[in-house]
Amino acid sequence: VLKRIDVAIQATARYFYLLMHLSRDFAQPSVRRAWIRQLLGPIDEAKWNTLAGELFAWQYTRVPAYRRLCLAHGVTPKNLASWRDIPAVPQQLFKQTLLYAHGSAPPGAIYVTSGTTTGQPGRQHLLNTDIYRAVSIEGARRAGLLAREIELHFLTPSPVETPYASLSAMFGFWQKALRKTGPRFWISHGHFEFARLRKTLIAQIKERRPIAICGTAFSFVHLLDAWADLPPLRLPRGSRLLETGGFKGRSREISKAELYTQLARTFSVRDAAIWNEYGMSELSSQAYAHGRSGLHQTPPWARVLVCDPATGREVGIGKKGLVRWIDLANVDSVLALQTLDLAERTPRGFRLIGRLPRTEPRGCSLSADDLATSSESPILTS
Amino acid sequence: MTTRQRLDLLARAYPRLFPRAELLGLLRAQLGHVDALDVWIPRDGIRVRARAPKIIYHICAGNLAVSAWTSLAHGLLLGARNVMKLPGDREDSSVRREILDFIRGLPAPLRKLVETHRALDTDLLHQAEVVVAFGSDTTMKSLRALIRWDQKFIAHGHALSLLWLTDPKRLTPRQARACAVDILTYDQLGCLSPQAIYVPPRTDFDALGRKLAHALEAHWRGLKNKPARPLSVAARIVEARDLAHALGHRVWLPPKNHLGWTLIHDPDPAFQPSPLHGVIYLRQAAESRLPIALASVAGRISTVGIAGRLSARLENIFLNLGVSRFCAAGHMQFPPLTWHHDGRSSLADLVTWIDDENLA
Repeated sequence: VLKRIDVAIQATARYFYLLMHLSRDFAQPSVRRAWIRQLLGPIDEAKWNTLAGELFAWQYTRVPAYRRLCLAHGVTPKNLASWRDIPAVPQQLFKQTLLYAHGSAPPGAIYVTSGTTTGQPGRQHLLNTDIYRAVSIEGARRAGLLAREIELHFLTPSPVETPYASLSAMFGFWQKALRKTGPRFWISHGHFEFARLRKTLIAQIKERRPIAICGTAFSFVHLLDAWADLPPLRLPRGSRLLETGGFKGRSREISKAELYTQLARTFSVRDAAIWNEYGMSELSSQAYAHGRSGLHQTPPWARVLVCDPATGREVGIGKKGLVRWIDLANVDSVLALQTLDLAERTPRGFRLIGRLPRTEPRGCSLSADDLATSSESPILTS
Repeated sequence: MTTRQRLDLLARAYPRLFPRAELLGLLRAQLGHVDALDVWIPRDGIRVRARAPKIIYHICAGNLAVSAWTSLAHGLLLGARNVMKLPGDREDSSVRREILDFIRGLPAPLRKLVETHRALDTDLLHQAEVVVAFGSDTTMKSLRALIRWDQKFIAHGHALSLLWLTDPKRLTPRQARACAVDILTYDQLGCLSPQAIYVPPRTDFDALGRKLAHALEAHWRGLKNKPARPLSVAARIVEARDLAHALGHRVWLPPKNHLGWTLIHDPDPAFQPSPLHGVIYLRQAAESRLPIALASVAGRISTVGIAGRLSARLENIFLNLGVSRFCAAGHMQFPPLTWHHDGRSSLADLVTWIDDENLA
């Protein structure tokens, strides 16, 4: 009974807090600046709960599709007891409807998902890139990736060339944050400048400057293939490699273990110096892991719940479930995102396992995934 | 062993799946005579005899065991050596176990004709005269590249089925129950499983949804072996429900939101694949709009189950869409053994013929 009374008091207090703050308009630059300050400042459990409740209430009122989903789950700003109860939109929903909290206000940026899994791209609309910029820089800095002395190289096209790619945008933010100039984006108009990159790296290695090479997993595979016959490079101490995303249809597919082994050999770095960035166009924050079996950790303004889809609840420590993001920086669309990414919950983060295979019309069918899981089959070697 | 002896053994082992009379009918319909494999049969002024392939290589799908059982039964009737490539291990599938159980249940003389492999054996694949494969289009494409020019390759790729309700207002509880049987049998995983229910314009979805939801729940409750809902399956079902809620579609859910079935009214008439596992979409389309609504799956529609009567015009529309089977609702999942799977004569396709023109 006492627990129920406590929950009721907390819910009432939050309701009145929200009533006071619902006038907060996230379209206003000053409000957005204040929000960034709150996110980047200290966040304890109570503050987290309050901020999550406030953002939830704002998006609930502003995003019709999200409101419909919340109502179906019986969750409203009025009865929200905990941030853990905030309903999450399926990632797929970004491919089917507009999730944008600013009505007819023109978005300052639209990021398009790759659509490689289902062939249909999703769209993330941002009123302004200010919050995305701030948290992606600060997230990388707190993770230890961005140091002033580090030389950054990106295996993607530049954000000017691909304005709809959130990854290129984030790399562009990092480049500007470190005030780096010169050619840092090594893919241009579909052409990978392998030779120039190698030449630049060799020069920087001679100067013993730590280097960070960041790119998609498939871009690293192309790089490994191109440099297969060349001697390994010995990156200076403090250097790191950051890979993100998958391979689908972009290069030959190799296992994560094989990719890390080859990267470690090609660049003479330890396994722990190879990082994975786990993020997506539908979100503003990222999680990072070090080494092939490293745990992913989120910044303080974002949390991941590993959930059982059948119950919607978080699984126990050591159990597997699906990744659900609560991202307080995702102000302009929806803060809670349900992915189909499988992970194991651990006491200190989560271990990403991989994506659940998508369904396809498979009447009388052995899906492609069936074959892909059987390493014995020679059909696989395509 | 003669065809009749093999037939009797098979029918005795699995009388419900392969009734003797139906097996006899299958041989008569597709080979012209029950003994066509064993003796010369007079036909059109000559005598003919069917020759069975020595080796049939069956590549089994991971979604459903019944297609593998049927394919194997055909091979056994013919007395061929049957090599079965079993599906891989999957959290959400017990198909491999079900195929092995079926083989264990065969009498010894038939069991001797079967061997199983977990991996594709390319040597045996090349030795086989006939390769029968069930799977995705990608799988079929990969297999075709491995097949010799003089091998028969019988490929069953992607296919799906639909229900058509002629007069939803007059849908009887019995018909609703028949729809539920079609939807929930084999957990909706086969090519005969409906992925959508099409209804004509001006349908009262509230009333229809209630009827169907009631029937689905009644049928689900009565299922003795309810299909499992591992994480990967639960994820797809929940995703489909959440998407529908967010998009403002009408959703009917079971009591306590269990994951047995889900009924969704999607106002878009265009066919979209269901995540299966009991998720069925209600779509409304006028007859004249059906060719557009189903354009994306033209040529891949196996069966149309019908509650009511099918007009000649509608029949023509479905025929133009490549539909290869019509049946009454409730019978979609239980075709006769003479069914032309993907429009083919399953047994006749496997044999070759010897002609003797010197009739005495």
